[in-house]
Amino acid sequence: MESIIKVSKLSQKMGRRILLNEISFEVFPGECFGVFGTRGTGKTSLLHILAGLDRFTSGEVQIMGNNIRKSDKFKRDLGLVTQEKSLFRDLTVNENLDFIAALKQASRADISEMIESYELNEFLSEPITALDTMGVFQRLSLACAMLNRPKILILDEIIKDIDLYSRNLILRELQKYQAEGGTCVCAFSNIDFCKYMSRIGWLEGGEVTLYEAEDARAEWSRQEKLYKEQSGNYHV
Amino acid sequence: MFRQSRAIMRREISYMWRDKGLRNILLFGSLLGLLLFAGVYSHQRLDNIPTAIVDLDKSNASQEVITDLKNSENLQIVTYPDDFVQLKELIEKGEVIVGIVIPENYGKNVALHRQTRVGVVIDGSNMAYATNASSAVLTVTRSIGAKIGISTLIAKGIEPNQAQEAYQSIEFREDSWFNPTTNYAYFLVLAFAVNIWQQCCTLASCMNVIGEKGVSSWMQIRSSGVSVWKLFICKSFVHIGAFMLMILPVYFLAFEVFKFPLACGWPAILLFTFTFAICLHSLGTVMSSAAGNAVDSTRFGMVIALPSFIISGFTWPLESMPQWFQPLAWFFPQTWFFQGINYLTFKNPGWEFMYRYFLILGLMAILFYSVAALFTHGITTFFRRG
Repeated sequence: MESIIKVSKLSQKMGRRILLNEISFEVFPGECFGVFGTRGTGKTSLLHILAGLDRFTSGEVQIMGNNIRKSDKFKRDLGLVTQEKSLFRDLTVNENLDFIAALKQASRADISEMIESYELNEFLSEPITALDTMGVFQRLSLACAMLNRPKILILDEIIKDIDLYSRNLILRELQKYQAEGGTCVCAFSNIDFCKYMSRIGWLEGGEVTLYEAEDARAEWSRQEKLYKEQSGNYHV
Repeated sequence: MFRQSRAIMRREISYMWRDKGLRNILLFGSLLGLLLFAGVYSHQRLDNIPTAIVDLDKSNASQEVITDLKNSENLQIVTYPDDFVQLKELIEKGEVIVGIVIPENYGKNVALHRQTRVGVVIDGSNMAYATNASSAVLTVTRSIGAKIGISTLIAKGIEPNQAQEAYQSIEFREDSWFNPTTNYAYFLVLAFAVNIWQQCCTLASCMNVIGEKGVSSWMQIRSSGVSVWKLFICKSFVHIGAFMLMILPVYFLAFEVFKFPLACGWPAILLFTFTFAICLHSLGTVMSSAAGNAVDSTRFGMVIALPSFIISGFTWPLESMPQWFQPLAWFFPQTWFFQGINYLTFKNPGWEFMYRYFLILGLMAILFYSVAALFTHGITTFFRRG
């Protein structure tokens, strides 16, 4: 099968610090590819490069056959949920949906469908700064990302620290999206979320190691046990 | 395609409208400025300048001088101190601006056709007062001098007609053009209000690029693949439109209500202001693309916007600035604008003269937008987090 995302020898430097050091991997259509790592390992940087937000130092990234250094065409088929709250703070829920739909050239029907799917009806007139739970905000973020019915979804810590209701709703919609052939690249820092991924790219020290979901979980347990022993049973 | 543009423009309008601080400054800043300045300069000229006369002579001749001074249009005799020391105290306390000292033996010297000297003291600590006082005193002293000169000639046996002709053989008739009553309000009020407007516009333009790139919602715009040019053009269209809407009530009040001079007519002033608004927007865009954050951008804007009015040569002639500085002043669009608006409102010198003002403001706009494009393209904002 031909890959939908192909990353070859990608490097990213920040000042003198090497954040990503010639990493390579491929993501295939219909896959949910997890980018796992602890804080500061370069997950967000990698996702921002894939979404075409940041330039990179060297290497090549191809998305749906487009070299992203040369073309922005892939963005038409892209949905993005960032770790940082990136919706328009001066607009209400409805206005955010409306404006992002216009940017992505999505239809009115798409907006209605997203409002329905992500149960946003009761929040429509609220300014997004007034949304009291992170869960609702993430539902809205995902709804906005899905407006253009993207082929690739890039999600950064989407279900971290949110209420269970919103988490289940988001997971349900993501399952539906994948069942329809969508591809996800999903960054997370809680190993328990491995179970939702097809494969894992584990980022550490600028390198990426690829695992099957269960293998990643096993590797985490092994390291946890090792460090526990090294520290004389003091739990980290 | 138009839906995208419409949405971007609508959002920009709502952004400007919902930001209460920005909205109030844009809507009311220059308007309040105009009303305030119009109130301050409502008297339009400086008259009734408080004057004191020290009459050390107490003769008929000195009384004649006092009467002439009393009849002066702009001087108001408020007190008669006994001596020079008292006069000095009054001037130091700010109670009088002009002091006239008529010396002892003034009447006698005049009668004997001897040269005599009347002292005139003017408080120079307030330039506006001093200039006006000096001109008012000059008018009175000139006429007194002429009167005494004629009577001296008559006393020397010259016929009264001949004596008068001798003194008035050359008539210097003052005829002040474009602002015949040298009305301060005509000269300053509009310029001050427009200065507030241009400062508001510069500061608002300083948010053009950084206002988007400096906030996290820039990621939504960037990932949507919308063309940066489309975004820029739509936002700029709204900004420049808003700038023009802001100046309309100011011009309406100035030209239609307060009846300030508008020699060039409405179309020319609006076209000139529109050209300047584009140029100002381009200048703000340079600041906002060069700055690392919104605060820096505002600082850059203030550095340009605040002193530009003084540098423009409107209140202090460019020709009186240091030689090396004069070419520098012409690098500011505000200099072209304030000079141009003075020509247009008072004189209307015609297209053959004014076209260079339009042309240079237009060329500056092209230059500034190009520099802004270079900055925006060249400076990569990295959102590197992990």
